[in-house]
Amino acid sequence: MVSPRGEVTPFASLFPVDEAHKAVKRVEEKIAEKQKEMDHLKEFIADNNSIINLVSKLPEELHHDIMVPFGKAAFFPGRLIHTNEFVVLLGEGYYAERTSKQTADILKRRGKALDSQVESLKANIKDLKAEASFFDTTASEAAEGLVEIREDYVDEDLGEEHFESAFQGKGESPGLNEKKHMVEEDDEYTRLMARLDELEREELAAENDDESIEDDPVANGALEDGNEQKEQSNTIESDTVNSEHFQNAISGDLLLYQTHSMQRKPQEQEKIEDVTAEALCNKYQSDLSLKDEQNRTGSTIQPLPKAENLSSKSSTHETKRHLHNEKASVLPEGKIEAMSSATQPVHMQSARPPSNSSKTEASQSGFDSSKAFTGSIVERSTDVLTAKSATLPPSDSQSKPSRPVSRFKMQRR
Amino acid sequence: MASPAAVRELQRDLENKANDLSKIQKDIAKNHQVRKKYTIQLGENELVLKELELLKEEANVYKLIGPVLVKQDLAEANANVRKRIEYISAELKRLDAAVQDLEEKQNSKREAVLKVQQRMQALQAGKAKA
Repeated sequence: MVSPRGEVTPFASLFPVDEAHKAVKRVEEKIAEKQKEMDHLKEFIADNNSIINLVSKLPEELHHDIMVPFGKAAFFPGRLIHTNEFVVLLGEGYYAERTSKQTADILKRRGKALDSQVESLKANIKDLKAEASFFDTTASEAAEGLVEIREDYVDEDLGEEHFESAFQGKGESPGLNEKKHMVEEDDEYTRLMARLDELEREELAAENDDESIEDDPVANGALEDGNEQKEQSNTIESDTVNSEHFQNAISGDLLLYQTHSMQRKPQEQEKIEDVTAEALCNKYQSDLSLKDEQNRTGSTIQPLPKAENLSSKSSTHETKRHLHNEKASVLPEGKIEAMSSATQPVHMQSARPPSNSSKTEASQSGFDSSKAFTGSIVERSTDVLTAKSATLPPSDSQSKPSRPVSRFKMQRR
Repeated sequence: MASPAAVRELQRDLENKANDLSKIQKDIAKNHQVRKKYTIQLGENELVLKELELLKEEANVYKLIGPVLVKQDLAEANANVRKRIEYISAELKRLDAAVQDLEEKQNSKREAVLKVQQRMQALQAGKAKA
């Protein structure tokens, strides 16, 4: 198992506990404000209703005997006449003479407007509460000392056994990888591209050796299932993306990159994410990032929440974990498939990323540490390669199939 | 030495820029407040217009001017309310443009402040080395 150039980042450094707590407090303050406004509005509504009652009851008598207030501290007995005539405030200093029934109508309409205001306030409060809970979880996570481990994606042969062991070995770190810093994506991307080009050339040379890549029927089968899932989420986009990205060399880092980009834009539509995910797929390599991707693909496709980046971050975080669980099963399959068809990695990836992206964004499932994929994939020789080429999903990636193969070979040496 | 003077000058610069920034921020906050007020008024006026339209022709409309309720013509009241709505909308648009402007200025000021801070840091790092 190779873990190249890993970066261990304690969660606390990314989201300092203090700041997370402060953020929670700020959001709670805002919530309190909105609550007060809401109470205000509710008072208005109550007053309105009582007036409606009064206005409807007055005309029942021709006169009413009442105590009329006189100044600040006196009353005198009097009579309320013209019990059906009301001068109603319409707003902005305008009054109108109306009967009791018409007045009641006016008041009812006013009440409806107030109700709609209350509803919008309620929605506001709900959003704020969601934000607060996200901050809360982040704070607690940071306090627990979760660590985000980021490793470069190294092209390695995928071995099923390795996957499994990898899954068990890695705690939560793989999932955290997803929360990479978006900033690094661009740098990584260029770096990866250069690397990919190199590897491609090598692959072409070395490809001929690895013809016999064992296909893992189970993995392939599983992969197909996974692919189906993904394909559901990614329809045409994955294909188009695959073909586009297929040209790109497979690189785990790229996957990471795409993962990040996917996560970076949670709000963006799934399609966009799918595209990026697919691009990532193309760079499928047996790598942690890849695993993450795969994990994600494994998870069910969920509608992207319209959450802000924060929520997406948290969701991605959680999704990563969730994905890990799912990936555990999917990864081996995915990897094998990737291996089998050099040209296919794109497909695989494409299927995955779309679902991944959506899932990462949406899924907040629990993180299954046992299934975390730490990304250290042991190279398998031709078996992996063949499996990969064979199992890759049907996208149209037709670029150099040899690429993934050669990469694996390189790893093996 | 030139360094302390330079540092002091940079600090003064930083203070100035920070002041400007805070001023701009206050302006933006005021703008927001006025905007809110206008928005509420606009809503109320629209409600009034709706009610006025529901009134039958002979209904009496009064306007509160100070402590006096003055009888008004329904048509006149309608026209007045409409004019007021237009006026408020125009004000809101003007405020929107102003707030955009202020925000741009705020951003540029922030960048300037950052630059000055960076220069200060570089200077201090240089001083520390020397």
